[in-house]
Amino acid sequence: MNSNLNKSIVLISPLDVVLTGLFEILKGSVAGEIIQLRRGDEIIDYPELTGNFLVIAVPEELEKSTTLIRHILPVTGSVQFMALNLDLNSALSTPSISINDSAALICYKVNEILNSFSTNPGKETDTELTRREIEVLQLLTKGYSNKEIADQLFVSTHTVISHRKNISEKTGIKSASGLTMYAILKNIIDVTDINPDELI
Amino acid sequence: MELFNENSKLASVIHKDHSLLPVINRLGVKLGFGDKTIRNICEEREIDLNFFVEIINVFHYEAYFPEKRLLDFSVSMVIEYLVKTHRYYIDYLIPENDRLIELFLSANPEQSTENDLVRKFYTKFKEEFVIHIDFEESVMFPYVLELNQVIENPLSRPNFRQKYPDFSISGFEKEHSAMDDKMDDLKNIIIKYLPPNYDQNRGNAFLSNLFMFEKDLKNHSRIEDHILLPKVKQLEMILQSHE
Repeated sequence: MNSNLNKSIVLISPLDVVLTGLFEILKGSVAGEIIQLRRGDEIIDYPELTGNFLVIAVPEELEKSTTLIRHILPVTGSVQFMALNLDLNSALSTPSISINDSAALICYKVNEILNSFSTNPGKETDTELTRREIEVLQLLTKGYSNKEIADQLFVSTHTVISHRKNISEKTGIKSASGLTMYAILKNIIDVTDINPDELI
Repeated sequence: MELFNENSKLASVIHKDHSLLPVINRLGVKLGFGDKTIRNICEEREIDLNFFVEIINVFHYEAYFPEKRLLDFSVSMVIEYLVKTHRYYIDYLIPENDRLIELFLSANPEQSTENDLVRKFYTKFKEEFVIHIDFEESVMFPYVLELNQVIENPLSRPNFRQKYPDFSISGFEKEHSAMDDKMDDLKNIIIKYLPPNYDQNRGNAFLSNLFMFEKDLKNHSRIEDHILLPKVKQLEMILQSHE
C-alpha cells in the first residue's frame, strides 16, 4: 500500500494567518509534505508535484488551481480537492473544511481524503504486476481466451501466453480461478464485474 | 536423509517422521506396536514387507523413488493402497478441512466478500477433487483390475475386448497437476494476499492441514503417475502382443 508519505498537501489562501494556522494543525497528523501558497496559480511553480496530492483552498483560488492542474501540470497520481470555507454563513457542497471546525475535525477530514487515495479501487493497488500484465489479467478474469485477449490488445497469442506465465510467476497463482481471486483481492477487478460462480 | 528398512523399529520411525502416521494406518497398522520392528509387524499382520518399506520411504524422502523396484508390486496391491488413500481423504482429511476453513472464516464475519471468495474457491476445488476420485474408482481402477485379470486368464479375453474395444489407459489419464495447482493457489492466497485481519491461529490450523493434505496428495499422484500408469501400459503391451 502507498503510505501517506508520498501524499502531499497544497494549502492555498491569501491570508497568512489561515495558512500558518492550518499548517500547525495538520503538520502533526500528516506524514507528507505541506506546501503553502497565497494564490492558486502559484501551483505552476511546482512542476515536481507528482504522485497523489490534496489541494485545500479558498473557493476562488481552488477554481484557478483546478484549471491549472487539470490542463497544464503533468499529473502522475490522483489529485483531490477540498474547499476551505472562511464564510460562516455559506455552506459548500464539495468536501470542505470550515474556519470554525475544531483542529481534530480538520485533521480527521483531511486524513480521510488522504487515506482514500490508496483504497480507490482500480487506481492504486500494491500489485507487483506491470500495466500490461494487469490488462491481460483483467481480460482473463472476464473469461476471455488467450486468442481473444491477443485480439483485444493487438498482440500475438504467444505474447499473451508469456504475460500469463509472468503473472503466475510473480503472484504464485496458476489457475484461472485463483488469478480471479487475486485480482479481486488486489482491486484489479471489481467483484461485481464478474460472475464468481462461473469464474471461481 | 536416512532411509528406513525392515529392521527399523516402527516406533522410532514415527518419532523421526510423524507425517507417516496416516500412511502406516492405510497400510494396515494401528498404533500400540511397542518396540517391534517393521518386519515383525508386517509378518504378524500379513502385510507385504517390501511394499510397506518402499511406500514409507517414498513418503518420507521426496528424492527417493526407486521406480524399477516399485514396478515389481502387483497392480492389485497398488490399487488397494490408492483406494485406502482415497478413503482417508474422503472420510477424514476433507471433512477436517471443511471444519477448519469454517472455523477460520466464521471468526471474521465482517469480511464477507473475502470469505465468500475463499469459500467458493475451496468448494470448487473440493468438488473437482471428489469427481476425480470417483472417476478413478468407478472407471479407471476397475479397468486396470480387469486388464490385469485378462493377462492371467486368456479365456476372458473376448469378454474384455467387447467391454473395452479400444482399451488404453491413455484415454483415462487425468491431469493431476491441475489439482495440485489449485491447492497451491489456495495456500498462496491465504499466505500472501488475504487481508490479515482474521484469527491467525485458526488460519494457521487450516493452512497446516492443507500442507499435510498437499504432501499426501503429491505422494499419491507420484504413485499413480509413475507406478500405476507405467504398469498398466506394460500390461496393455503384453495384451497387444497376444492379439
